[in-house]
Amino acid sequence: MMTTFGRVWRTGFKNIFRNAWLSSAATAIMVVTILVLTFFAFSTVFVRTQLAQVRSKIDLSLFINDDATQNQIQTLQSKIGTIPNVTSVNFVSKTDALDRLKNSSSEGAKLAQSAQDIGNPLPASFEVKLSNIDNISATNSSIKGLTEASIVTDSSYDNRDDSRKGVVENIIKISNSVSKIGAVLSILFLVISLLIIFNTIRMAIFTRREEVEIMKLVGATKWFIRGPFLVEGALYGILAAIISLAVTIPLTRTISSFLTDKLGAGPTLQYFSSHFLLLSGGMFAVGILIGVISSWLALIRYLKL
Amino acid sequence: MILLDRVSVMYPNKTVALSGVSLHINPKEFVTIVGSSGAGKSTLIRLLIKEEVPTSGKIIVGSIDYDTIDKANIPHLRRRIGVVFQDFKLLPNLTVYENVAFALEVSGVKSKEIKRAVPKILQLVGLSEKMHSYPSELSGGEKQRTAIARALVRNPKILIADEPTGNLDPKNSWDIIELLLKINRFGTTVLLTTHNKEIVDALKKRVITINRGRIVKDEKVGKYTL
Repeated sequence: MMTTFGRVWRTGFKNIFRNAWLSSAATAIMVVTILVLTFFAFSTVFVRTQLAQVRSKIDLSLFINDDATQNQIQTLQSKIGTIPNVTSVNFVSKTDALDRLKNSSSEGAKLAQSAQDIGNPLPASFEVKLSNIDNISATNSSIKGLTEASIVTDSSYDNRDDSRKGVVENIIKISNSVSKIGAVLSILFLVISLLIIFNTIRMAIFTRREEVEIMKLVGATKWFIRGPFLVEGALYGILAAIISLAVTIPLTRTISSFLTDKLGAGPTLQYFSSHFLLLSGGMFAVGILIGVISSWLALIRYLKL
Repeated sequence: MILLDRVSVMYPNKTVALSGVSLHINPKEFVTIVGSSGAGKSTLIRLLIKEEVPTSGKIIVGSIDYDTIDKANIPHLRRRIGVVFQDFKLLPNLTVYENVAFALEVSGVKSKEIKRAVPKILQLVGLSEKMHSYPSELSGGEKQRTAIARALVRNPKILIADEPTGNLDPKNSWDIIELLLKINRFGTTVLLTTHNKEIVDALKKRVITINRGRIVKDEKVGKYTL
């Protein structure tokens, strides 16, 4: 058993060099596939981190009646804190609001000065952070449904003009469709490359069909014939993953400052460097899987005893 | 022992390749099968190595009933029958030594045993000096001797030679036939198909004549007649 296992591996190794031309073709296509998949993974993570940043900035502001008592405000704050989708509730007093305006810019400082002169018309507010931005509408309604919410005059979500509500909903839509399109494109590309590699390996096997025929005639079992081809496919995958890594690592190093400064992809790069093992493991897994599966499929026709 | 009982092979387009062939070959016999092209010789051989399945009838080789053998055991069956073809069927990427060794490798024979057996069999067929040559560097006769060595290295009880001299000149043809006779003297059943009248007549062995899928003649000491 061990003797046969060793022979299968040895033959697989030898065959790579005996069919150097087809081996390089198959490996090259796999390299392209792995690189494209890596690019997709990179873009998906990039878009996700960008959107996450944008979305984390969206929160719900609830403006409070100037007549509200300290007691009413505290009761409402703790009530809002118990609503499921709410992660934190921050109270911004009238004075805080004025200070913020003062510190925002030189223009803001002037505005704050005049506001102070007419007796600070800025309302106090609650800044509510949400765990899931998709449910902002429902959370807004639940807050306003509270009996204690009578002191709330307005909410940023259903402000007089609908623009902010629209922006929030648009970002949610874009973020969801970007994920969906990315997934569909990745699967599509994986299928296309599987087909191309399947055909390349089938060509390799076709040129060796006589060999397969002879092996059958001298009494080789299916596994003895199939084994070296599967080993070969897996080795193409491993080789392709190594080449892809050798291309990706120096390339990202070279353009990392561009990616960070111009595209703000710093967090994405950080994500990949902290998940380096996962990324490279994924490359190897994709390469080996594609190689083995396509060899297996390509051989079926020639292996009928 | 090879036993065929009323074996017929019919193809889907209604062509009859073999029709009710019954035949009994004893161990250690040397049998020549003759017949014009398309008479059914090759079909008969493909049946014996189970590359083809009869439409009806029974085939028993040794103690193996071909009806009951399952697919997984076909490779094992083929290892017990040595086959030599007109076109040699050598693996072009392997040397003479490796081609012969390959037949043992597929049977899971240990490397040590292979290293012992292969040179011995190459000596028997007279190819010791060509051990490390590739098939493309060999003459027709040498290729056929490599194929015979590959068939013999597993000590099969039966050796089937399907027109082994078809691509060879007279001198090389006789070398191969003499080799087959030698193998037969060692106790292997030899089944030979050929178109070579001179060889068949000189052999003075059992001759079975097939015509249009039927056995028309079976003589203890036969001659080539169609």
